Amino acid sequence: MQNKTAEGTVFSNMRIVELAGELGAYTGKLFADLGADLIRIEAMEGDPTRLEKPFFNETPGIENSLRYQYLNTNKKGIVLDITSPEGKEVFLKLIKTTDLLIESFPPGHLESLGLGYEVLSAINPKLVHTAITPYGQFGPYKDYPFSDLTCLAMGGMLYLAGTENEKPAQVPDKQSFFQADLYAAYGSMVALINADLTLEGQYIDVSIHESVATAQENAIQTYDLEGRIRRGLGLIEAGNGTYKCQDGYVYIVAAMGSNAHLWYPLVDWMIEEKIPDAEVLRGEEWAISDYRKREESMETFKIIFEKFSAKYTKQDLYQESQKRKVVIYPVNTAKDVLENPQLNYRKYFKERYSESVNGTITYPGCPYELEKIPWELKCGAPAFGQHTAEVLRNLGYSTDDMKSFVKRGISYAK
Amino acid sequence: MPNKRPLEGVRVCDFSWVGAGPSTTRLLSEYGADVIRLESKSRLDLLRLIGPYKDGIAGIERSGYFSNRNPNKRSIDINMKNPQARDLVVKLIKESDIVINNFTMGVMEKWNLGYEEVNEIKPDIIYVTMPTQGSTGPHKNYMGFGITMNALVGIHYLTGYPDKVPFGMGTNYPDHVPNPVHTAFAIAVALLHRRKTGQGQLIDVSQTEAALAVLPTSVMNYAANGKVLERRGNRDLNVAPHGVYATKGDRRWIAIAVFNQSEWAALLNVMGNSEWSNSEKFSSAASRLENQDELDEMIETWTNQHEAYQLMDRLAQAGVRAGVLQNSKDLLEDPQLNERGFWAYLNHQEMRRHVYNVSPAHLSKTPAQLYSPAPLLGEHTDRVLKEVLGLSEAEIVKLREEKVIG
Repeated sequence: MQNKTAEGTVFSNMRIVELAGELGAYTGKLFADLGADLIRIEAMEGDPTRLEKPFFNETPGIENSLRYQYLNTNKKGIVLDITSPEGKEVFLKLIKTTDLLIESFPPGHLESLGLGYEVLSAINPKLVHTAITPYGQFGPYKDYPFSDLTCLAMGGMLYLAGTENEKPAQVPDKQSFFQADLYAAYGSMVALINADLTLEGQYIDVSIHESVATAQENAIQTYDLEGRIRRGLGLIEAGNGTYKCQDGYVYIVAAMGSNAHLWYPLVDWMIEEKIPDAEVLRGEEWAISDYRKREESMETFKIIFEKFSAKYTKQDLYQESQKRKVVIYPVNTAKDVLENPQLNYRKYFKERYSESVNGTITYPGCPYELEKIPWELKCGAPAFGQHTAEVLRNLGYSTDDMKSFVKRGISYAK
Repeated sequence: MPNKRPLEGVRVCDFSWVGAGPSTTRLLSEYGADVIRLESKSRLDLLRLIGPYKDGIAGIERSGYFSNRNPNKRSIDINMKNPQARDLVVKLIKESDIVINNFTMGVMEKWNLGYEEVNEIKPDIIYVTMPTQGSTGPHKNYMGFGITMNALVGIHYLTGYPDKVPFGMGTNYPDHVPNPVHTAFAIAVALLHRRKTGQGQLIDVSQTEAALAVLPTSVMNYAANGKVLERRGNRDLNVAPHGVYATKGDRRWIAIAVFNQSEWAALLNVMGNSEWSNSEKFSSAASRLENQDELDEMIETWTNQHEAYQLMDRLAQAGVRAGVLQNSKDLLEDPQLNERGFWAYLNHQEMRRHVYNVSPAHLSKTPAQLYSPAPLLGEHTDRVLKEVLGLSEAEIVKLREEKVIG
């Protein structure tokens, strides 16, 4: 990293190389969206994310996966077989000027190719090498095969997504991968700060299993301190959980432990609306958590509340509840989210033409606003091999070299 | 050379409380930042009032929910309602690099400690604000919790079974990972920017928007294709079998996911290649997706006869993706997590030995370190006022008499 130029930011001179896979793409996106120069190297068979539904225009095709399109904005994409001698040479040339390498091969794979951290750091001592794997680089499960579902299971998140004996359900969008990618991004930034201070890079071992296990809320401590194994919140006490309303569902938090200040304003609202039996809920006993947890309490509340909520839409309940210091949230569908007035006011969703799908995609926008480092959607995800020629040329390879790489099946240029 | 702390010398004036804020500053404290929490007995951090508690006995110094979010930090007891408190805070801000809060909009401004005022006090400050729905817009003052944010952003609707009321994830998920880690990343970016340029800046995080950044496909799909995705239990749009299956034991399940024909063949071998499994109905990915109800039922009949961990080991050896649905006890006893030192036990004055998780990103030269347990409320008031702000014993006594500090 060089000193900041007049117009640039810390990312203007930062080079990142990402060895493409299902993991690490969001890590790279966080840097690329803030302006880092990110080169994503795909193997000849391509990133498996390219094959994932849902597709743009519901048309299958290697450029059309919406998840792929989202995760790879602002990146350059090249296709290169780094297991071939020439591929290795290209990769090592890139590493010389790279600040951060993001990869997710199984433990030991890069070493077996002669491209392990020791080799790379000898070429570039300032390199930060971030490796994301399901269970980490060592330990008895390190070679266990995985998917998002198995990681959510082993990390404890699935167990919490249900109550009593109910079978839990998976959260959408591969949250286990996002969690590991987020920790990888933060750890990488800390290491980049340290490299700036000491001129020394380092190796970062990120485990999905552990990343997921940080999202246990208070479950770990509940066992450690009280010897209890907890499951999910929601529908375990009256006034806390999902209820039906006129056009779908709402999620309400009317009480938390001994904290009942949200309870009575809701009850008064229902009384005002002349909901049958709402007065019953006014009793002092409802302020007690154990009382609300009784089965008959839960049933009583549900019957009364749903008579009330059936009269209104989820958005009406949401907005009116806030005026009354009551917490009723809409259980939004994707359509509701896109129509949310707050998000629209803030212009959260971004539309951009993506060359690789030949159409305009709507993307979630920036997760944070940094006053001096703009988040920008400059270009959509790269088509397969889109930047191969440009990147190889910049490394000093000739058109003939490139043609020969393609011919021998170790590269692809679009 | 281990034991170096890359954020050593970075001081955080931490107004944040409850979930997402303290989880963010925890990430800074793990790498050596001096995080000073401004707390007050008259306005307790809600997490001090929510269990679990040591031995199940309630107490503001006994909550494990609070402790795991606050190791390595210092706590001062300062009553912001007292007009003199602001002077003290101004002194602390002058000695700080980062000021952070996760209040709803208006609280910091009420104390005349909004970004503009703080920027005047300390021109190179990194000022972090993380209101739940952002600092502008019609809903900027809305109150809510992590668990209601799940409903708002659409993750709740999508988590559950198609024929049932959506259950959701059962936790305040955005508070635990998406919001704190996004925010900590942005702070680290700002710290590097300041090293390079000497400039501070404002970091404005809308927690709803950070949570949506990890929930892309359903909204992108609706925008592109006009279709609302529905919840589908543990099934996948692309492959089958992909599910959670009951095994022997109470509340014991195993997750199994098959992504291709060779994994399917491997699963068949582990299952003993019974007649049903070799039927045409399950021979291709498309036919397995088509006949999932029957497929899941047959697999569960088989898994029900086995012990979950033994099954996971056998499936893993055969190359099938499988994982036990571990509960909190399982996680604390997990051989992988223990070999990697993921659990740290720290000794706390009142809670004694109790557990914390360490960072899931292991930096080889500058690892995250937990060196002290969560602070008692106001444990470091005198030390911070003396060592950081240079106040004399007499000045501290006076501030305490006037109830500015506790």
